[in-house]
Order: sequence, then structure tokens, then C-alpha cells
Amino acid sequence: MLPILHKEFVEKYHWITNQEFLDAIAIGQITPGPLTVMNAVIGYKIYGVIGAVMAMISSYLPCIIIVTLVCRYYFIYKESVIVHSVFKGIKPAVIGLLAAVAIPLGSTSLVDLLTFGIAIISFTIIAFTKIDPTFVIIMAGVLGALFL
Amino acid sequence: MKNISLKDIFLVFLKIGTFAFGGVYSMLTFFERELVEKRKWLTHDEYIDSVAIGQMTPGPPIVNTGICIGYNLKKLKGALVTTVGQVFTGTVLAILLAMLYIKTKGNVLIGSIMKGIGAAVVGLLLSIVYKMAKNTIRDYKTALFALTAFLALAVFKFNPIGLILAAGISGLIVFRKRSNDSP
Repeated sequence: MLPILHKEFVEKYHWITNQEFLDAIAIGQITPGPLTVMNAVIGYKIYGVIGAVMAMISSYLPCIIIVTLVCRYYFIYKESVIVHSVFKGIKPAVIGLLAAVAIPLGSTSLVDLLTFGIAIISFTIIAFTKIDPTFVIIMAGVLGALFL
Repeated sequence: MKNISLKDIFLVFLKIGTFAFGGVYSMLTFFERELVEKRKWLTHDEYIDSVAIGQMTPGPPIVNTGICIGYNLKKLKGALVTTVGQVFTGTVLAILLAMLYIKTKGNVLIGSIMKGIGAAVVGLLLSIVYKMAKNTIRDYKTALFALTAFLALAVFKFNPIGLILAAGISGLIVFRKRSNDSP
């Protein structure tokens, strides 16, 4: 997503500067939820609050249309032999892919004893207790503010 | 369709979107805890279906998972409500930060908080992988699929979409016959 955004907004249309683009990424990274929130910042720089709202609508409308279509047909044909066996292959593969994502994520985030500790405690809490993930996020933020 | 109000769906996804700091992978954990374990709005298997569909479709995969869950709960209205709920807080915060020209990048405190949360997200992601694996990987064939996908991405850096496609085709070849045996 990032290279496409940069090409369109900075290089082709010159609607925002390179620095504004980098600021948008920085904001997208610290706000909760997906990085796509940075599109709201780009929209805001171009056309104020209306621009931000338009940016979010046009970012998510294609997703909503495509995902609902896929879901609709998936749930209709879920029991059919073909769809069932295709997904029986896809589901474990997706789990493998998510496990692989943890490697680059870990190599940037886990840099010392404390960050390793936070990751292990978070894993243990969510995998083996019923404690809310909200608590884990807040705890990790507080530990970071105090010791990192 | 399940008898759950749109307002309840919106509020749960708003909560998830508000506390999912440190990138989308923490959202996967929230989905599972809030929707499968606590509220039992969907089964674990339906949840993994939604994660798989999210990964296959273009756009941000985890947001797409939320859209799929919303559609599963309340059709198109559910999909719209979950999308807005997931991104609402982040969008409002982002506009405020841009409006007030708050420089977040060099800020030491924000940096430290995000480092702590970043570490937690690794743990959260692994815990959801563990839970999903416990539910889905039941025999050596499914284990082989997971292991192959893991190695293909982690070691050989294959394209994830291509990998999902390959897994689907292999699934059709490997599991089709067995599915016929047990209707």
C-alpha cells in the first residue's frame, strides 16, 4: 500500500510533500487500529476534515464490496466438497503465514530482556487465562513508558 | 442470521478499534476474545474462516476479517457497522493529531509507550496463532500445510497471496477425496 500511496499523492499529483507523507505514516503507526488510518491524515492535508472522511470512505468501500461478495458466496457454498477442501488447505496455511509474520515483527520489537519479557507475559496471559487483551495493551504501554 | 443488535456490534468493534494499539495484529486477539469466547457470536471455526477470507481479499487483511465477521452477523449492515467501528477512534485521533500539528515522531514518551506495546503485540500474535493452531491443526496433513506455508514465507519469502492460492489448490487435491468419504 505505501509505495502506491507515495507514487500517487507525492510524485504524480503533488498534493502532499514527502515530509507530510512521512508524518502521515508516523500518525498511522501510533493510532489504534490499521495503518490505513494514515489515509485520513493524507485526506486532511489535502481538503480538511471532509477530505479525511472522503479518504476513509474511498479506502474502505472497495474492501467492503469485495469482502461481502466473497463472504456471501463462501457461506452459501461452504458445505460443497470443492470449497470445503480448498479452505481445508487454506486455513492451516494462513496460520503458518501468521506465525511467519511474527518473525520480522519480533526482530524489530524484541530488542532486550524487558521487551522479551513483555512478549512472553502477553503470550501467556492471552493463551492461558481469560484476562482481557485491553489490560495487556495498557500494561505494556505503562511498562514501556517507565522502563524503555 | 443471529439475533444481535447493530448497536451491540458497533460498540464491540468500537472497543476493539480503540484499544488495538501497535498495529492490526493485536486486533486478531481482540476478535477472538470478544466475539468467540466472551459473546459466542461466532464459532472458532467461523472465526478462522473469516481470518482466511481477510488474508485472501485485497486491502488491509485484518480489517477485511472484521468486515467478514460483520457480514456473517448481520449481512451488509453488519459489514458497514463493523468497518466504521474498527476505524472510528483511530481516524478521529489521526485527524486531531494532524490538526494540532502534534509532532509524534520525536516524542520520547510516545516512543517508549509504543516500544512496550510493540513487544506485547508479538506475544498477542503468537497467542492467537497458538489458539488457532490448536483448533485447526488436527492431523499430520494440516500440520504439513501450516509448516510449508510458514517456511515458504519466513525462509523463502514467497508472495503470501500466491501461497494462499497454492494452499487452496493443494487442499482441493489432498482433501477432496476424504471429504467425499464423510459427507
